[in-house]
Order: sequence, then C-alpha cells, then structure tokens
Amino acid sequence: MSDQSLSASTSDPDSPARRAGWFERLIYRSEAARGFSLLAPTLIFLLTVILVPFAILIIMSLWTAVGFDFDTTPTIKNYQQVFERPIYLALLGRSIYISAIATVATVVLCYPMAYYVAFHVHRNKMMWIVLMTLPFWTSYLLRVFAWKVVLGYEGVINSALINVGLIDEPLGFLLYSQEAVIITLAHAWAAFAILPIYVSLEKIDRSLLEAATDLGDGPAMRFIRITLPLSLPGVIAASLLIFIPTTGDYITPALLGGPDGAMIGNLIQKMFGPINNWPMGATLSIVLMIIIALICLVYVFIMLLVRRKIS
Amino acid sequence: MDVLDQLGSMREGKMSRRAFTKSLLAAGVAVTAVPMGGRKAMAAAEDQATYFTWGGYDIPELFGEYQEKHGELPNFSVFGSSEEALTKMRGGFVVDVSHPCNQALPRWKASELFQPVDPTRLSHWGDVMPELVSLEGNDAGDGKLWMVPFDWGQTSITYRTDLIDVEEESWDMLWNEEYKGKLGSLAAGADAWWIGAIKAGVSFEEIDTPEAFEKIAAVMREQRPLIRTYTDDTTTLEQALASGELVAAMTWNSSAALLKAEGVEVKFADPKEGALTWVCGVMIHKDASKVDRAYDVIDSLLSVETGKFMIGDYGYGHSNAKSFDEFTAEELAELGLSKTPADILQAGHFQTPQTQEWETKMSSMFEEIKAGF
Repeated sequence: MSDQSLSASTSDPDSPARRAGWFERLIYRSEAARGFSLLAPTLIFLLTVILVPFAILIIMSLWTAVGFDFDTTPTIKNYQQVFERPIYLALLGRSIYISAIATVATVVLCYPMAYYVAFHVHRNKMMWIVLMTLPFWTSYLLRVFAWKVVLGYEGVINSALINVGLIDEPLGFLLYSQEAVIITLAHAWAAFAILPIYVSLEKIDRSLLEAATDLGDGPAMRFIRITLPLSLPGVIAASLLIFIPTTGDYITPALLGGPDGAMIGNLIQKMFGPINNWPMGATLSIVLMIIIALICLVYVFIMLLVRRKIS
Repeated sequence: MDVLDQLGSMREGKMSRRAFTKSLLAAGVAVTAVPMGGRKAMAAAEDQATYFTWGGYDIPELFGEYQEKHGELPNFSVFGSSEEALTKMRGGFVVDVSHPCNQALPRWKASELFQPVDPTRLSHWGDVMPELVSLEGNDAGDGKLWMVPFDWGQTSITYRTDLIDVEEESWDMLWNEEYKGKLGSLAAGADAWWIGAIKAGVSFEEIDTPEAFEKIAAVMREQRPLIRTYTDDTTTLEQALASGELVAAMTWNSSAALLKAEGVEVKFADPKEGALTWVCGVMIHKDASKVDRAYDVIDSLLSVETGKFMIGDYGYGHSNAKSFDEFTAEELAELGLSKTPADILQAGHFQTPQTQEWETKMSSMFEEIKAGF
C-alpha cells in the first residue's frame, strides 16, 4: 500500500524533464493513472475479497450436486427450484418479514434517543453516544445469548412475572419464536440506527427551526416540516444498515428461533453443511442478494419521493 | 498524553472528540496486541494433535493417558453432526483424528480423506471387543482398519419421571399431543430420521425406498408441531429438561446420565419398539501432521481409565472390554448397558450405512419438514 502511494507522490510535477521510469512518466502524464494507482490497494482488495468470491458463487449456483461431487454442466435448474419448491420462497418471505419488523422497531425506538442527544444534550455528547452504544462493546453472540437468558423458560421475564403473581406457568412463546428473533435483532442492531440518525439530526441548521417558529409553526409542525425531512438521510441509512444484514442473519434464529423462527440464513448454512448441496446454497445466497437489492432500491426511491413531498 | 491527564480532562469536560477517539484507538490496539505477546510463551499447544469430535468429548477426563505422556491436552475442535464435520473437512479443514459413527463410515471412507489405522501401534488394541471392529466397510486390508471403535450407545428418550405419566415406554411419548410444545428433538437427520423409521415401522433394510421416505416424512410432519426445539446441542436439551421446559426429548445416553448425576428425576427410556443403536469410533486424517500423537489420542480414548468415565459418567458403552470389569452387573444394568455389546446393539435397531444420495435427499427433506412443509 505504502509503495504505491509513495511512488505516486514522489514524482514531482515541477521537474518533468527528470529521467524517470515508464511508471513515473505515466503517473506524471495521466491524472487517471494517478487516481487508479492511489486506489489500487482498495481495488485489489475489492477484487479479491468481493468480486472473485461472488463470481465463484454465481458459477457454483449453475452447477448441480451429485453425491460428494458437482456436475459442472451449467443449468438454471437450481433457480427454477427456488420458485417451484414452496420452502425457499416461504423462508425468504419470513426472513424479509422478520427483518422488516425488526428494522422498523429499531428505527422507531432509536430515533427519540438520537433526537434527545442531538437537541437536548449540550455537554459531553460523546459520552452519551458512547453510553448508548455500550451494548455493542460485547460480542454479537453474547448479546443473543443474553436475550436467551432474559426470555428463557426460567429467564428474567418469566421469573419476574411469576414472582409478581401475574402468571402461574412460564410463558412458552417468549423463546423459540419469531417474536424472540425480532426482539433480539431490534436490540442487537440498535447502535447501527442511533449513530446515523444522530449524525443527520446534529447537522440540521438550528436557524431553520427558529425560522419555522417565527413563521408560526408549532413544535409538531416544525418537527414534521423541518426536522423529519432533514433527518431522512439518516433514517434511510439506518434502515438499510439494519435491514440488509438482518435478512440473512443466521445466529439469532438458530439460537432463539425454534422451528417457526428459522430464516433463510439457516437454510443456506445447512445447504453448505449437513444437506451438502453447495450449488443450491449458492443459488439461495444470490437470490437473497437480488431480492434485498430490489427491496432497497424501491425503499430508497419511495423515501426520496416522500422527502420531496413533505419538504 | 498519560492516563491521568485524560481522566482529568474528561472530568472537566474538556476532552475533545478527537482526543477521545484517539485514546479509544490506543486502547483497541493495546487489547488486540496483548494476546500476540503472550502467544509465544505457550507454544506447546501447537505441538499437540487436533481431535475433531462431538461436543462433550472435548474434556480432560478422556485424555488422562495422553496428558501424562505429553503434558498437555490435544487441541479440540467440535461439531454437532457428523455431516457437518465431513463437509468441513472436505472444505479443507485438516485435523489429526476425527470421530464418525458406523452409519457414516463408508461415506467418510469414500471421501478419501482418511488413512487406514494400523492397530498394532495401539497398546490397548488387545482389549478392544472384536464384534465392534467388524463393522460394515471397516476392513482396510493388511490387518488394518479405517475406524477404531471407541464408544457405542443408543438414541432414545430422556424423560422427566416427575412431570410425565408413562404407562409404557414407547416412541409414542415423543408424538404425544398432550405434551405439545414440551418435547425436544435432536436436529440431525442422522438420529431423528431413523427414529422416524422406527416409529413408522419401516425396517432399516427398506429405508432407501420411496415408500419409506413417504412414510417417515408423514410421521415427522405429524411430530413437528409438537416439538419446542430441534437442536444439535445436547446441552440445550439437558438444560431444558432440567428446568421442566421440556418433559421428554430425544437424546443420547449421556444426557440422561448427566441429568441424573445432577439430581434431576429423569429416566433414559427403553422404548418397546426398540431404541436406535450405533457404534462410533475414531479415524485418522490422511494429511494428519502428527500421526504419532494421533495414535496416542486413540490409545488414550481406548484406555480403561477413559472407559470408566465413559460408562460411569456418560452412560455410553466403551470398546475396551476391561473397562466393564470396573462395574458390577447391577451397576451396568442400571445404566442400561451390558458387557456384551450385542445384547444392547441387537436389542435395538442398529444403524446401517446409506449412500450419499440418500443422505442428501433425507437431509433436505427433513429440513423442509422442520421448516414446516
């Protein structure tokens, strides 16, 4: 990395006549070459860790599994199966549903927190932000397990309710259900919502709010007409940051989902594990990726329309 | 900038965001660097063989002999189902010793990832029960074998005697509507599907027929709404049984034995249809880098000391005939074991190897059923 950037910066533009290798001459003459050589480490990284594996995934999805081996004649049979066998679309649908609810819940719960820090905290803002992201200091797995303890059969909620005398027998639906997955996801990803929303709220020019008040808007109207539209970029970013990774989440449904809470990520893992059908796993990953991309595009488009409408 | 200075400035509210981020970065770097420094001091672990095994077998009690000889335990890596293990190794994970069961043996062998074991290099070989060695597909020629038998046992039902009324022990207990949402099951088809076959009355010779698939799928679908959770993690089942969250679950011998030792009122059932029985053993990876130590791992597993723990604490059968001499006939009967493995293995339904196609078809079908289709 340092090699590249050094050679780019040492070619002094004031003395072009200096004898130089072909590389330095190229660097000197072409702005594009300069740019690319500066970008090279990033580009190489992207190529090797994202594009190449993605290409492998696409190629593998066109194969079929035969026992231990792959039949490498290209076929779209796997893709047809995704639409023919009900389990795949049903699990995809369930994953999107769970993750959409978790996203909405997270954003709605985190917005007020971010709002409070942005507008009503004047000293030690950084401390507040750090405190809010405190759960993120532990590992994701630990947070999921903590929820298992809270929601469990003899967990915090059940024992509290029994001690208070509200229920006689522990509530079974708390754990191993879709609700458990949604609650856990909403908590585990909270920091991803707080930070972008806080940043976009913090950036809002306070004089706009004063102007709105001067022109006769009450607090509610002021929020709807100024604060909300201006913070929408943060909301959009937060939603995407949560929705995209949670749709394919694997560990939360595996530990807390039970039979009804399984998501597409679990099936993909099983395709690469016990079911031993890697091509189908690759196909499902790609279909999941495409569906998420489409949903995100539609979402961003709608949000932009909404923003234009209300501002 | 020293620490005291930072604390002071934080107290006075003077600390800038940049300064704070800087100190966070420093702390992060420090924390990451700490284990790197310490690593060199304990290099010994890297000299040990790696044992890739089921969860619960990664404990010092099974490696007394090995520890005595090498001063350290082997390195462990744990799997939840043998299909998962095979897939991982086919993906390039190299270990020294792994731990499949007789039902998977021919397929593990066919993966060409393992080397034949020379039993003459094992000091406890003379005590190993011959009937456990002569498994289908285990002969590697030249007096060598693929899998050295280590443990054997049953897949049956562990149930809470105080929470469930049982007139007659039967697989119907796991299909009982009355206990809907309070039943648990192992998630791997390698156990559950075979139990389905026993429940559906399909004989294991016919398990690879379309009719068998239909019949078994039907009983598994019937059971699915009653099951609270399917898991490969036996601890999850044990904890749930201990708390009363589950009243009965499909488990191996060890869950019942461990729960009993904890004082939980459980019993490992002997279902009237017969339990599922199996023999597991150890295989050596073809690219094992520490073959000598791999043999030491196997020797340690075969030792009487280990056998005593396996029988007494885990409730499994052991492959060393001498291990059984440590127990009286009554003690063994209490544990549901016998000195003659055939008594137990043939009384139940002994698992038989199947083709890879069958495994894949079965697993994907069982996954669909678990997901509700």
